[in-house]
Amino acid sequence: MSDGSGGLESGRKRATRLRDRVERHALAGLTVATVAVLAVVFYYPVGTVLVESVVVDGAVTLGVFADLLRDPFYFGELARLFAGEDPVAVVRALVAPDRRLGIVGFTAYQAALSTLASVALGLPAAYLLARFEFPGRRTLRSLTIVPFVLPSIMVAVGFVATFGRNGTLNALLAAVGLGPVELMFSLEAIVIAHAFYNAPLVARVTTAAWESVDAGAVETARSLGAGPLRSFLDVVAPQVYPAVLMGAALTFVFTFGTFPIVLALGGFELATVEVFVFRLARDLNYAEAAALAVVELVISLAVLGAYLRYEARHTVTSRGVRPLPRRPLVPSAPTAGALLSRLGLGVYGVVAALVFLAPIASMVLASVTGGDGALTLDHYRFLVERQRTGAAFQVRPWPAVRNSLVFAAASALVALPMGVVVAVVTTRRYRGRKLVDAVAMAPFAVSGILVGLGLLRGLVFGVEVAGWRIAVAGSAAIVAAHAVAGYPFVVRTVAPGLDSLDRSLIESARALGASRARVLRDVELPLVWPGVVAGAAFAVAISMGEFTATVVLATGADAYTMPVAIERFIGRRLGPATAMGCVLLVVTGLSFVVIERLGGEYDGI
Amino acid sequence: MTHDATETDRSADRHTRRRFLALGGAAGVAGLAGCSAERTADDGETDGDGSDDGGSDDGGSGGGADDDGESETPTLTVATYGAFIDAPSVSPGEWLKEEFESRVDAELEWATPDNEVNYYVERAASGASIDADLYVGLTAEDLVRVDEEVDDDLFASAGEVEGSDAVREGLRFDPFERAVPFDTGYVSLVYDGTETEAPETFEGLLAEEHRGDLIAQNPGGSSTGRAFMLHTVARFGDGGVAGDGEGEAVEGDDGDPDYDYLDYWAELQDNDVRVLGSWDDAYTSWSEGEAPIVVSYSTDQVFADMEGANLEEHRIQFLNDQAYATPEGMAVFADADEPDLAREFMSFMLEPDVQGEIAQRNVAFPATDTAELPEDYAELAQEPAEPVTFTYDQLQGSLDGWISEWERQFAGN
Repeated sequence: MSDGSGGLESGRKRATRLRDRVERHALAGLTVATVAVLAVVFYYPVGTVLVESVVVDGAVTLGVFADLLRDPFYFGELARLFAGEDPVAVVRALVAPDRRLGIVGFTAYQAALSTLASVALGLPAAYLLARFEFPGRRTLRSLTIVPFVLPSIMVAVGFVATFGRNGTLNALLAAVGLGPVELMFSLEAIVIAHAFYNAPLVARVTTAAWESVDAGAVETARSLGAGPLRSFLDVVAPQVYPAVLMGAALTFVFTFGTFPIVLALGGFELATVEVFVFRLARDLNYAEAAALAVVELVISLAVLGAYLRYEARHTVTSRGVRPLPRRPLVPSAPTAGALLSRLGLGVYGVVAALVFLAPIASMVLASVTGGDGALTLDHYRFLVERQRTGAAFQVRPWPAVRNSLVFAAASALVALPMGVVVAVVTTRRYRGRKLVDAVAMAPFAVSGILVGLGLLRGLVFGVEVAGWRIAVAGSAAIVAAHAVAGYPFVVRTVAPGLDSLDRSLIESARALGASRARVLRDVELPLVWPGVVAGAAFAVAISMGEFTATVVLATGADAYTMPVAIERFIGRRLGPATAMGCVLLVVTGLSFVVIERLGGEYDGI
Repeated sequence: MTHDATETDRSADRHTRRRFLALGGAAGVAGLAGCSAERTADDGETDGDGSDDGGSDDGGSGGGADDDGESETPTLTVATYGAFIDAPSVSPGEWLKEEFESRVDAELEWATPDNEVNYYVERAASGASIDADLYVGLTAEDLVRVDEEVDDDLFASAGEVEGSDAVREGLRFDPFERAVPFDTGYVSLVYDGTETEAPETFEGLLAEEHRGDLIAQNPGGSSTGRAFMLHTVARFGDGGVAGDGEGEAVEGDDGDPDYDYLDYWAELQDNDVRVLGSWDDAYTSWSEGEAPIVVSYSTDQVFADMEGANLEEHRIQFLNDQAYATPEGMAVFADADEPDLAREFMSFMLEPDVQGEIAQRNVAFPATDTAELPEDYAELAQEPAEPVTFTYDQLQGSLDGWISEWERQFAGN
């Protein structure tokens, strides 16, 4: 009997040891897998293109960069500095009214303005979503991600119809005896369009941070005699700043690399760096295109790096267990303060309706408007018809919807472990971890045009090894590429939470014999779960909206997604494309409502 | 030259695919397999396995074998731009495939890589096999670019193509006779006649009454934009811009050596011309009434008529009775597995009835004198009295300089 129990005991021990060993190496294994995926579907392919900026005709040279940096067309007055002119003279020229910014300078300038606009439009939304209770709040919160996935051509259609000469805005203004305003083809139009895309991003991350403010801390401050404003500034704001800055930094990076929307709503006078990357790559001038893309990358990574340094220094160590109670949107007792904040929200509501809802509504309207201006369902009939009778080599709507959903789900499943692993690796204490963190963010910062070119060269055409050409394409590659594009979001939504966790929690769990992977799974992840869900939502959004990698890696019309279908359906009349755009709108909207419901009742990151 | 997606296809950022599906088998779950390995030594023999049509595997059995077995039907892979086979309104792809397969014992597969010709330039540069027999939709600018960037020949000489004598003289743009034109478009002004009366000359666009009236496209990213800019070069000369590079300077038709296309564009910019990114951007804004005149194709009324729109709102104006011609050609890849079949396809494309169908389905003009077109086609699809176009030789060494000088002037900030 004692023998038997001893055997059982040792068998159990052996099993435990085996599991321990697997667990102990699980994290290392995942890290290796993450690095491998990044290397195969990102760093290597992109490297094959970027290297062309320093290797011209087989010789290593910095000449391309030297020419670029000294070219006033790209660098404005700064080019004179690079050309060796007196810095004082350059500074004087820079403050002069007729200074030249150059394409790079202008791109940074419009990105800065777009960032300000996105923060200005995103913060009130965060305030509304984090601090007030009203019917449909959670659904509204889920839907804020929708603008993120809309193809630029759809946004352009919506914007012209809203802010154009004969648009909704001018009709409204005329109704109250004002206007008309000429907003199209201006810097303002571009900035507003960028805010359309990015203010929701700022709102989402800020809402999450705001919801995680501990009510206890605010109550303590109030009980110590701090007024509402004081307790907000001292307790709430410091916890919200990092999220706002994160939203701002990402917005800057995204709008710095902006491309089609600038030429659609602004015009060539407002061309950005990416416009020239596109043109040069199209004309097969890869050296210059790659050099410009490197400049773009360096600037974007510098901005992200600056934010990451800030994030590291401003980790909020106490995370709320009990969030601040939400106030009803309709105040129970109308005090002056309550009325003022509601009035402010009301004004914001009007602006938000114009910037976010009107363009989307215009798009929906365009999908049911015929060539003669009358309402029609013809464009949707086109979709049905194409589904029924389209040739096998043509893009059909249903496979596109199905592929979008499958790729999005699969890529989120890949992006989540990748993001979590990178978050764990970059929140450990060692020298250079911020560098690793910044490099891990590179998929956000590299020119999309060159990523596409790199995937073509590195994956689709393949590599020759010992007489065999190894190539990667198809659905698996698409999923991997989407995961790589989306995983930085997971890192950014999970890392701050992990970083702020009380180290003693992990240490005691480890002391009790839990492996690192087990601590991560059983202790850390549950504590930062909202961040994981938020990251998953972004990963899904990136996948749903992705175009370039999909179209490069797809092996046939049956692997296309909704954005590709929209692009293929663009014609002289925008009806069919806008109808498909509305399908995208509905499918993504529903997906996000479902994801965030499935993610569980949560409050705060 | 379908207005439709052609323009987008050439202006957005994307690339494409093909081939690997043969390994993945039919659509669906099996399609998840994505890795392929093939021997590089005998790449000439593996052919046509990238069935573009969703996984029918029979393409793999081709390969130019002889004998009498029915299973030996050869496969011709025709590369083209997306709108040629898949536009929301009309496109010739489906009709051409059916018709060709009914006339010739062969299977036709379309390949529409997102990067169009550049995709094959890249393939060649990467040492990957070309995997297509011919390309349909080449322009003179494409050939200039390809020849500058590719050391070996990407395309073979057309050789004996039955029916190519019928191609109109002014459209033959390839001095090396690789590309055979199969249709052409004309880039002109399209305007809303209920809003304005478009000017008859280039100078007219500078008038105060047309301030802010014109929407054009980026010459660096859009083919209509490029054609319109080239038209201004032809009209006003290039002011020696090309002479600074390897090209030959162009003297304008205006007879004024001190006034060149950049001077004209400076005035056009002063008069508030809008230069948007792509044909779609421009046409959308024009349709929404942002401005009454847009640079587009002279076949605009064909589409307008199809949609039952008011033709008065879709009027064509040829500046100085001219329009820039944009002939499209087809050429056999030097690496084609089925070069003879490819040439058979080329002569098929030039047959009178096929020419008529292509013109109507691609909403363009035939390349041959012998095309069979309905009587009323010319009523809606208008041709200029004097087509203008630069030849391959004129573009070579010049085009890049013309565009970058234009960009530097227009966007300098």
